[in-house]
Amino acid sequence: MSEIPPPPPPPAFPPPSPGVGGAPPANNLVWGILTTILCCLPFGIVSIIKAAEVNGKWASGDYAGAQASAEAAKKWAIVSAIVAVGVWILYFVFIVGLGVLSSTSS
Amino acid sequence: MTRSAVETNRWTALRAPAAVAAVAVVSVSYLAAVNPHEGGNYPTCPSLLLTGFYCPGCGSLRAIHDLAHGDVVGALDMNILAVIAIPWLVWRWYAWTAAAAGRTITRKPAPAWAIYALAGAIVVYWIARNLPPLAPYLAP
Repeated sequence: MSEIPPPPPPPAFPPPSPGVGGAPPANNLVWGILTTILCCLPFGIVSIIKAAEVNGKWASGDYAGAQASAEAAKKWAIVSAIVAVGVWILYFVFIVGLGVLSSTSS
Repeated sequence: MTRSAVETNRWTALRAPAAVAAVAVVSVSYLAAVNPHEGGNYPTCPSLLLTGFYCPGCGSLRAIHDLAHGDVVGALDMNILAVIAIPWLVWRWYAWTAAAAGRTITRKPAPAWAIYALAGAIVVYWIARNLPPLAPYLAP
């Protein structure tokens, strides 16, 4: 009985088509700046620095590095946003909690 | 793909930019109407409350309120970065919308040094506005 041949490996994800005239990966600078201004956290600065790396690496021909930095820029903007939302939720819980305490103790 | 399918996709692609524009218009209208200069209208930023330091974004709400009322000098006094960032964000929104609408915008990527300089400027602003001699000019 013939063995069923294993399915062919999935095609490798096509690399982003680099080259002269190509656009660099999105450096997510908007998110880095938004989270820096709105969230007041150092992670937004990290995101901006990663965004700078994207353009720098792309300009020097390091396309894979630019892609990695773009993903890092996105990651740090998301971290900044999530931590900020968490802090605000805790903050509101704290305010509401104080309100409840002061209203019950008065 | 048929022509109408392309049209439908285009409208679908424009949903996110339209949503962002709607949120921005509502937020700015609210900020223009409810004055953030008056205490108690908005909660104190937790980072200011916890650390006691002004962050690079401190005063942004007041700056947006001032800009909405046409007071550019007042806005600069509250937060220089916000005043610089807002036109840039509007431009980025425009480019995003145009790209979603199918227009190709060719632009040169910003040089890396400019973005590093921006990150450095934000950190310097963060520190400088908390230094007592500079606070009268840079603190909100």
